[in-house]
Amino acid sequence: MSEARSTKPGAARQATLYRALDGAGAGDGVRTVEELRAAALAAYEHLDLPSWRRSGFWTTSLRDLDVESLQPHHVEADGQVPAVVAEALKGDEPAGLLVQRDATVVHVWLDPELAERGVVLCSLEDAVRDHPELVAEYFMRRLTYDRHKLEAAAGAFWTGGAFLYVPPGLVVERPFQLAYVIDEPGTAQYAHTLAIGGESSDFRLREYDLAGGFEGPALHAGGFELYLEANARCRLAHFQDWGGEGQEVHDVSTHVVRVARDGHCQWIPIHLGGRLTRQHLELSTAEPGADMRHRGIYFTEAEEHLDLFTVDLHEVGPTTGDTVWKGAATGHSRASYEGLIKIRAGAQESHTYLQTHSMMLSPRAKVDAIPSLIVETDSVSASHGGTVGEVDETQVFYMRSRGLSRQDAVRVIVEGYFEPIVVQLGDERLEGLVRERIAAKLARADEDIEAYAAAR
Amino acid sequence: MADLEIRNLHVRTEDREILRGVDLAVNKGEIHALMGPNGSGKSTLANTILGHPAYEITEGEILFRGQPLTEADPEDRAQAGLFLAFQYPAAIPGVSVANFLRMAMNTKREEPIGVKEFGAKLRHATDLLHVDREFTSRHLNDGFSGGEKKRCEILQMAMLEPEVAVLDETDSGLDIDALRTVAEGVNKLHDETGMGALVITHYQRILHYVTPDFVHVMLDGRIVREGGPELVEQLERQGYDWLREELEVLTGAPEEDDV
Ligand SMILES: Nc1ncnc2c1ncn2[C@@H]1O[C@H](COP(=O)(O)OP(=O)(O)OP(=O)(O)O)[C@@H](O)[C@H]1O
Ligand SMILES: [Mg+2]
Repeated sequence: MSEARSTKPGAARQATLYRALDGAGAGDGVRTVEELRAAALAAYEHLDLPSWRRSGFWTTSLRDLDVESLQPHHVEADGQVPAVVAEALKGDEPAGLLVQRDATVVHVWLDPELAERGVVLCSLEDAVRDHPELVAEYFMRRLTYDRHKLEAAAGAFWTGGAFLYVPPGLVVERPFQLAYVIDEPGTAQYAHTLAIGGESSDFRLREYDLAGGFEGPALHAGGFELYLEANARCRLAHFQDWGGEGQEVHDVSTHVVRVARDGHCQWIPIHLGGRLTRQHLELSTAEPGADMRHRGIYFTEAEEHLDLFTVDLHEVGPTTGDTVWKGAATGHSRASYEGLIKIRAGAQESHTYLQTHSMMLSPRAKVDAIPSLIVETDSVSASHGGTVGEVDETQVFYMRSRGLSRQDAVRVIVEGYFEPIVVQLGDERLEGLVRERIAAKLARADEDIEAYAAAR
Repeated sequence: MADLEIRNLHVRTEDREILRGVDLAVNKGEIHALMGPNGSGKSTLANTILGHPAYEITEGEILFRGQPLTEADPEDRAQAGLFLAFQYPAAIPGVSVANFLRMAMNTKREEPIGVKEFGAKLRHATDLLHVDREFTSRHLNDGFSGGEKKRCEILQMAMLEPEVAVLDETDSGLDIDALRTVAEGVNKLHDETGMGALVITHYQRILHYVTPDFVHVMLDGRIVREGGPELVEQLERQGYDWLREELEVLTGAPEEDDV
């Protein structure tokens, strides 16, 4: 585990591939949603499909994606919850549920009692019409549309979308659930979630990205933005599983969270698969006293390609943060995690650290874990570290000498490796779902893991 | 034929030969002590008996109840009734002691063990080892003290009821109470189930509580002397040098490492 520690201004190890949004946003409270769409469309016309390359070793390219052939696919808004969502949420009692299938929001349900108390859960399209003042204030405040063609496409073509507003002071125990489902090949799902937690509100939010069984290419491109006002608290989780053979989902998204004065966000993204995923996750403690806890998991298999960039942005001081990501890779999959801590000039008395761990479970998998740091002020503490490892053969032998098979031993080790993050989801059903999917991935990778051990 | 029989065993790691012709036979119901200076190859023998992949058998064989084990996977050896209490047990943060034990016990059974039966056995074993039940809900060896790890090894032994157990310095680092507890555990299994044991140790201490039927002394990868409990006392008094000297007289010259 390498560890760097810095309290000096200018001490930096520049992110090698990506740059923080660092507060940039297209929404300025002046341009309307339609004007932003038009601007994004203009950008779309001249921008290229993205390709990101890091010093010869790592390339994430969407140049070959036939973006014109992928179209928003509108389905009947029949109120039905798709089977894949029902299965993932089975037994849950949410505070509200919104489901977008392909290009259409097909199901919205909100506890009537919460609606009465001022909670809003509806499609973003409806919010533009019914809550124009809230949308004008927050929409795309921290999202851009002009960094590459797919971001522009999402800005120009988004449909459906999710809008959640939790009014000031309201505490909601049960989670709000949003689900994006793709179940048609050739679909371009341009998604957009806008969520707002009013002052001193306290709630849980889950977003599920699920593929409903199809064969062929598809695209999920979009934005997620959450704004937590002063003293608001949110436990946020993303559950992404586009996996399954033949489901060629490309996911290029940007997720941002802004935490205001004394607010707190615990954010746990879980990435369990997709043909190609390239996500930029940025969590900003933007006002004094803001605090965040960022935990994440990824587990890639087969031919999957995952490229994650997370930013822990400290705009002012004192603010605090704490990031831990754990990943694993089997098959021929590739996973890159780049985690940046950025402490702006003026953010004195900020304290944060970032850790990233990855585990290689196959000789043909590639993982890359790069923590980086930009500190533009003094009187802060920031540290980061990363490990890339393999299954510990001493542990494997110990368990085998008690009668467990190699597969079972490896399963125990990998589950134990992820478990400290899984339990922090604090939601039995979701935890169970994650454990189940991890176990299934390991079962599929059995031969691979065996081959790896033999090769060493 | 003995239950566990080791014949002319030669073992090497990547860089050199460690065991150079070991013969040893352990029957059910017998307690053997194996002593020898640091680095003589005791743990290597223990690990090889359980099939550790780092050790390559270049000559000789290991038989368990007449069946050759030399090629068998560690899990098959465990399921056949062998057990190793490790000198340095690995920590497994992913699983509780109880859940691990349940998994390990189920590998020997057709039907998974019932909740009641498991609970009763576990209670019996925790009583025997003087640990509280909460101990078994901790993650396996994770953050355990040295003494706790050793108790945990014997707890596992009590639950898995092996035919023959190898205890690799289970007595090291234990205070006298822990030592007595561990020794009682071994004796009880020996008396109740007829377990055979190969107790690797540096000290006479444990042998006051667990009385060996046979004592073997290992030096430079060979068993060079065998006897009864009286041998332990002699070693404790005189160390290993006299044995080494005797050997040199016998072989005519100080042994070269034939690397
Ligand atoms: N996996 C290994 N790779 C390389 N060398 C090894 C390995 N295991 C053991 N050895 C070497 O083999 C020799 C015997 O080691 P072993 O651990 O078997 O001794 P021991 O008798 O158990 O010693 P102690 O009393 O200190 O526990 C030592 O020189 C040791 O360094
Ligand atoms: Mg040893």
